[in-house]
Amino acid sequence: MTALYAFVGAAIVACALFMILSRNLVRVLLGLSLLATGANLLLSLVGNVRSEQPPIIADGQQTLGTAADPLAQALVLTAIVIGFALTVVLAVLVLRAWRAEHTVDSRQVDSAEALGPPQERDPTNV
Amino acid sequence: MFMILLVSLVGALLMPLFARMIGRGAGLVIALLPLGLLVAFIELAELVERGWVLGQGRRWAPSLGLDLTLRLDGFSFLFCLLITGIGALVIIYAGAYLTDKSRVERSRFFLLILLFMTAMLGTVLAENLLVLLIFWEATSIISFLLIGFDSRSARSRRAALMALQVTAFGGLMLLAGVLMIGHVLGTYSMAVAIDRADALAASPFGGPIVACILIAAFTKSAQFPFHFWLPNAMQAPTPASAYLHSATMVKLGIYLLARFEPVFAATSWGRATVITIACITMLVAAAQALRAESFKSALAYSTIASLGILTLLVGLDGPAATVAMVGFLLSHALYKAALFFCAGSVLHATGMQRLRPKSGLARVLPLTAVASVGASLSMAGIPPFLGFISKEFLFEAQLESSWEIAPLAAAVIVNAVMVGVAGVVTLRPFFLGRGEGSGERPIVRHGESFSLVVPPLMLALAGLIISLEPDWITRAVLRPAVAAVYRAPVNVDIAVWHGLTPMLLLSAVVVTIGALIVRFWHPIHVRLRTMDRFDTLAVERLWEETLRGLVRGSTALTEVLQHGDLRRYLLLVAIGIAGLGAWSVGNLGLFPRLPTDDPLRIAPAMVALVGLAGALAATRAASLLGAMIATGLTGFATALTFMMNGAPDLALTQFAVEVLLVVLLTALLLAVPLATAPTRTPLMRRTDAVVACGIGALLFCGIVDMAANPQASPASDFYGRASYLAAKGHNVVNVILVDFRAFDTLGETTVIAIAAVLARSLLMTRGGDVPAGRSQPVHFSFLMSGRALSWLLFAASLVILWRGHDQPGGGFVGGLVAALAFALLALAYGVDWAQRALRVNPLTLVGTGMLLALVSGLPGVAAGRPYLSHLWWEPGGWLPKLGTTMIFDLGVYLVVLGAVLTFLFGLQREAAR
Repeated sequence: MTALYAFVGAAIVACALFMILSRNLVRVLLGLSLLATGANLLLSLVGNVRSEQPPIIADGQQTLGTAADPLAQALVLTAIVIGFALTVVLAVLVLRAWRAEHTVDSRQVDSAEALGPPQERDPTNV
Repeated sequence: MFMILLVSLVGALLMPLFARMIGRGAGLVIALLPLGLLVAFIELAELVERGWVLGQGRRWAPSLGLDLTLRLDGFSFLFCLLITGIGALVIIYAGAYLTDKSRVERSRFFLLILLFMTAMLGTVLAENLLVLLIFWEATSIISFLLIGFDSRSARSRRAALMALQVTAFGGLMLLAGVLMIGHVLGTYSMAVAIDRADALAASPFGGPIVACILIAAFTKSAQFPFHFWLPNAMQAPTPASAYLHSATMVKLGIYLLARFEPVFAATSWGRATVITIACITMLVAAAQALRAESFKSALAYSTIASLGILTLLVGLDGPAATVAMVGFLLSHALYKAALFFCAGSVLHATGMQRLRPKSGLARVLPLTAVASVGASLSMAGIPPFLGFISKEFLFEAQLESSWEIAPLAAAVIVNAVMVGVAGVVTLRPFFLGRGEGSGERPIVRHGESFSLVVPPLMLALAGLIISLEPDWITRAVLRPAVAAVYRAPVNVDIAVWHGLTPMLLLSAVVVTIGALIVRFWHPIHVRLRTMDRFDTLAVERLWEETLRGLVRGSTALTEVLQHGDLRRYLLLVAIGIAGLGAWSVGNLGLFPRLPTDDPLRIAPAMVALVGLAGALAATRAASLLGAMIATGLTGFATALTFMMNGAPDLALTQFAVEVLLVVLLTALLLAVPLATAPTRTPLMRRTDAVVACGIGALLFCGIVDMAANPQASPASDFYGRASYLAAKGHNVVNVILVDFRAFDTLGETTVIAIAAVLARSLLMTRGGDVPAGRSQPVHFSFLMSGRALSWLLFAASLVILWRGHDQPGGGFVGGLVAALAFALLALAYGVDWAQRALRVNPLTLVGTGMLLALVSGLPGVAAGRPYLSHLWWEPGGWLPKLGTTMIFDLGVYLVVLGAVLTFLFGLQREAAR
C-alpha cells in the first residue's frame, strides 16, 4: 500500500512538473496547485506510521496511543493553506497579466523588455 | 588627536549651515574651523620638534585586528599643517568664487570640502592600516562628489566616474596589500610593518604586497599609466581643484610611498620600478603640459609632473632625497594652490579658459597678477623663492644618489618645462597683449575682491617668507618630517645661497631652457598639438574602451543567461534538482528498501488511482476548463486518502480548499481564453515528459525508502504525551498548531494576510466600482436553498472553530468553511450582494484577525512565560474550559476568512469587467 501511495504521489508530482513546464500561464498555475497536492500527499505518507487512527486523544485518556504522526499532519495542514494562498495569488497575477498584455503565453508577456536594456536609459551613464 | 578629528567631523557637519544663512561672507566664517584646527596642531609643534611621536588608541574590533589608533610624527605634522592651512584659504576663496551658485549648492560644497579635510587628516594621522584605508577611501569618494559637483554637466559626471574608477581600483589594491600585511605579520600596525620591512619583503607575499601598495600610490598620485584621471578632474570647481587635485589629496600616494619606502626598498625591483614610473610620468606630463590649451589643464599636467618628481625623490636613496622630497612637497603645495587660485580668478572674472589669447589682465586684476608672479617665480625656481631651494635639494639628491644619469636628465627637462609653464600662465593672461587692440580681449565681469585675492597672495608670500626666514619652519616642520621619513635625524639647512655648486649650475641651465620655452611657447604648442600621436597613445582611451567592452560583454552574457523564456529557466532548475536527487539516491545504493508486511487495501487503492487518473488527465486536457476539473479531481481524491489514513483535519482542509479553488479559478477562466494553440512543440513536450518522469522516479525511490523504514520522531512522541497534560487539548494536530508551534502558525497566518493585501492592491478597480445595479439572473436551485445553505455553512464553521481543540477542526478549516458560505452567496446573488451581506471590508477581518492572534500571546508574557505561551482557565462544573488559544484560533479563522473573501470578491469583480 505504501509503495502504491508513493507511486501515485510521485506520478502526481511528475504530471505537475510537466504542466509547469508549459508556457501557458494558466497551465503553470494549475500545475503548481497539483504540485502542492502531490507534495502534501507524499509528506503525510512519510509521517504516517502505518496507522489509520487519527491523532486524537481518546476521552478519558491523558496521552496519545498508537496513531498517525500528528507533527507531519500539522505541517501538511499549514502547507495546504499556504499552497492555496499561493495558487490564488498567482491566479490574480495571471488575471492582471491577461488584462495588461492580452495573452497568457509567457513568451508574449514582454512589455518590460520592449523598454530596452536599462543602461541605455540610464542618464548617469554617458 | 581624537578630539581634533571629532571637532573636524562635527564642524564639517554643522558649519556649512552658515552658508545657508550668510551670503557672500560665509567663507570667512566657515574658515574659522580649519584655522582653529591649524592652531590646535601648531600647539603640538613643541612635541614634534623634539622628535617625539604622539600616539593615541582605542580598541574598536580587536577580533579583526582593527584598533582605532592614531599617531602624529613629523611627516604627519607637515601634512596636517598643509591640510588645515590651505583648507582655510580654500574655504575663504570658495566663499567668493561660488557666488553664482545658490546657497544650498554653496553649503553642499562647504560640507564636502570640510568632510574631505576630515578624511585627509584621518588618513595622515592613522596608525592602524585598516583605519588608514577607511579614510583613504573616504577621500576618493569625496573627490568623486566634488569633481561631479556640477552634476548636470555630462563632462563632469564622466570625469567624476573616471576618477572614482581609477582611485577606487587603487583603494582595492591597497585593501589587498593591507590584508596581506596583516596575514604575514598578524597585526595591522603601520609602525610594525615598517619595522619589519625586511621580513615582509622576504615573505612569499612580499612581491604582491609591494605591487599592491605601489599601484595604490600610483593611482592616487596620478602616476603613469593611471595619470589620465587628474586632468579630467579639473571639472571640479576651482577651489576644489586647488585643494584636492594639487595641494593635498594627490599627495597621499606620495605619503604612502614615503611611509612604505623601507618595504619596497627591501625588494630587488622596488626602487627601480618607482624611479622608472616616475621618469615616464614626468616626461609624458611635461609634453602634455606644453600641449594643454587651458590654464587649468596646463596646471594639471604640471601637477602630474611635480608628483612624478616627488615619486622619483621617494624612490632615490640617501638622506638628501628625503630632504628634497619634503622641501618640494611644501613648496609645490604653496605655489600650485596659489596658481590655481589665480587661474580661477581669471576664469571667474572673464569666463576665459584658454591660454592662447594675450589678454593683459594685470590692469584689471593687479593683486592677482602679483600673486601669480610670486607663485610662478617659486615654481620656476628663481631665487630667493622657496621653489629655488627645493630645486637645489632636488639636484643635490640626484647627484648624491647611486643612480645613473637618466633620472637627472628627465628632471632637468621637466624642471625646464615647469619654468616654461610658470612663465606662460603668468605672462600670457596678465602681462602680454597690453595696449594691443586685438579682438580677443575678454570681457571683464568684475574686479577683485578681498576673498579672491587674499588666499593666493598669502600663499605666494609664504613661499618668499619661508625661504628668507626659515628658522621656525625648519625646526618645527621640515627637520622632524625628514627624520620621520628617513627614520634618522638629518641636518636640514635651508639657505638661498650655498655658494657656487653643481646644483647652481644645473639651475642656471634649467632657467635658460625654460626662458627659451616661454619665448617660443606658441610655435612649440602649435607643433605639439598637431601631433596626434599623443591622443592615440593615450591610456585614457584604452581605459574607456576597456570599460565599454566590459559593459558590452556583460550585456551579451546577460542575454545568454537571461533569455526571458520561462520554460527554459524552469527546465534548467528541474534538471538541476533531478541531478541533485540522482546523486543522493545514488548514494543510498539505488535500490530502495521496500516496505514489508504492508497489504494492499482495495478501496483506498481505488481512490488513489482516481487521483492519479485526474493528474494524468490534467496534463492531456486540451481545454483549460478540463485541466482545472481534472486537477480538482486529484485534490478530492487526495482529501479522501487523508480521510482514510487517519488525518481528518487534513481531509477537511483539503475539501474546503478544493471547493474554493473551483470557485476562484472559475472566475479566472471566465476571463481568459480556454483553448489556445499549444505553446510547446512535440519535441519539447517529449523532453519535458522525460525530465518530469525522471524526477518522479527519483522521488518514488526516496519516498518508498523513507516510508518503509519509519523513524519514530521524538518530537511527535512528546506532542502525543504532552498535548492534553500541558495544553488541555485532545486534538494533537490542533494543539501543535495553536500552542506548541504557535509562533510558526503566526508566521504562516501573516503570510496569508500579506497575500490578501497583495491581491487587494493588484485588483484595485480603477475609476470606481463596477456599477452595482446590474441584475444577475439567479438559478432557481440557489434561490431555493442558497441562503439557508450559507447560514448552515457559516454555523458549521463556528462549530468547527469551537471544537477544534478537541475534535478535528480549528481556525484554518473554520475560516475556509465560512468563506464557502459567502462564496455560495456570491455565486447565487452576485459579488456585490455577498459583500453587502458581509457588511465589513474583508481586509478589516484580516487586520482584526492578525491583531487577535498577536494579542493572544501577551497574557502568557504577563504571567512571566515566553510570548505565545497559552493560559487556561477551567472553571469546572458545566462551564467549558477557556484558554487564550481560543483567541489565537479565532484570529487565524478571521485572517483566513478575510483573505479568501478578498481573493474571491477581487477575482470575481475583475473577471466580470
